[in-house]
Amino acid sequence: MTLRRGLMILIVLGLWEAVRRFNLVGPLLLASPTEIAGALVKSWLDYAVALRLTATEIAIALALTWTLGIGAGTIAGLRPFLSATAGPLLSSLFAVPLISWYPLFMVWFGIGITSKIAYAVISGFFPIAINTMNGIGAIDHQYVLLGRAIGCSRRQIVFRILLPMAMPAIVSGLRIGTALVVIGVIVAEMLASLGGIGYLISYYRSIYATDHVYLGILFALGCALAANWGLSLLERRYTSWRVMQIEQR
Amino acid sequence: MSQGRPIVIETRGLRKVYGIDRAPLVALQDISFAVEEGSFVSLVGPSGCGKSTLLQMLAGLVPSTSGEVLVDDVAVRQPAPEKISVMFQDATLLPWKRVSENVEFPLEISGMPAVKRRQRAAAMLSLVGLADFAERYPHELSGGMRQRVSIARALAPDPRIMLMDEPFGALDEQTRIKMGYELLRIWEKTGKTIFFITHSLTEALFLADIVLVMSHRPGRIVGTIKADLPRPRTYEIIGSAEFGAARNRIWKLISQDDRDVNGEGMASL
Repeated sequence: MTLRRGLMILIVLGLWEAVRRFNLVGPLLLASPTEIAGALVKSWLDYAVALRLTATEIAIALALTWTLGIGAGTIAGLRPFLSATAGPLLSSLFAVPLISWYPLFMVWFGIGITSKIAYAVISGFFPIAINTMNGIGAIDHQYVLLGRAIGCSRRQIVFRILLPMAMPAIVSGLRIGTALVVIGVIVAEMLASLGGIGYLISYYRSIYATDHVYLGILFALGCALAANWGLSLLERRYTSWRVMQIEQR
Repeated sequence: MSQGRPIVIETRGLRKVYGIDRAPLVALQDISFAVEEGSFVSLVGPSGCGKSTLLQMLAGLVPSTSGEVLVDDVAVRQPAPEKISVMFQDATLLPWKRVSENVEFPLEISGMPAVKRRQRAAAMLSLVGLADFAERYPHELSGGMRQRVSIARALAPDPRIMLMDEPFGALDEQTRIKMGYELLRIWEKTGKTIFFITHSLTEALFLADIVLVMSHRPGRIVGTIKADLPRPRTYEIIGSAEFGAARNRIWKLISQDDRDVNGEGMASL
């Protein structure tokens, strides 16, 4: 299996290289794998600095988004009235193209790290909050009664019963939210910033250095994969019971 | 009450009204009864008559509008997990915890040391016949087995009273009969006081010493039937003449009440 997959990758890379070698597509549209590797060798330090900034922004934004999203979703989910009123509002806010707000974010937070984080947090917040709210709201009221009957405090009911119970829903919200945070950081960097992977992509595009644009995209992809990997660790830790439950059926 | 055992649960003029500001809905009215220590009391009534609300008031989960619940002559105002356990229609097990961890959960919340609660959970699981399933997860068990785990969890804190809200209502008939036997066996062995809600007349009568019959809108106790049937109970009892007579009396109380409400007797069936 791995052998076949490796072979597949080699074939794709070979075709990709050939397309450029025989100049079937111009250098402005496509860079070959070797050209992209050359760009990395030449400017690796720039990319290291940019990656550090982008990774920092993503890490801070993820921590904030997860905490705020799960927190707000839990509070709303615990109150049927609040989730009935806040639910549609949150969903419609989520539907607004957030990018149109970005000019305002720059005015409010400047073009440094803060506006990137703020924009990424807003991007990822809604799916996490909505999923958490729905997950908590769908739990049978008998579980709350059980918690109270065995002497749980309010806090214990939330942390020992409701949140673990809603974990499958929360994790699927985190999946969407995490991807949106990574996208948010990179898009914000591309629009207006002083550094980061998105900034490099945008800069090299403006000077027609296509090989660097592709390299930047690969780094962006790497960031998304890393965030996803972190999430899958969490998922395995907290929702394995759900997977087993589904497999049983 | 003839045996003169002490009273463990007593309600005095319990009343529950919802929506006081707008159109007030009287859910329960003038509920007064007493339960003797170690007895098995069933509460039977049509669905929506406020049975669950009454049980939750006994458990201290819902406040009454007026009247009071006394357990051991002390007014119940909040849950008392060391004295009262509650079981629900669903087993309400925590799906990410193993069977033994589920049974330990209330003990963990009450702060019992790990070693002691592990022993206690193991003992309760063998009492309900699930010692071999301690390391399994709830989804690996059948519906009946899950309710047995729920019984073990309810027994774990060694409460004096078990309040059961239609615990076998979601099970198929055969499993339900077996669970009834199982519950009686555990009850005889542990001497708990059991308050058991059901909408099945047969189940109510088969299990209990005393059957309380409730009407709906507002929920009231319309009769108390003493189940003078020999113990241990066997399935054959259900076909006996005395059983049939007692069940007819319960049905009469319920349908009598229906006539009052609808003015057309059993037409609502």
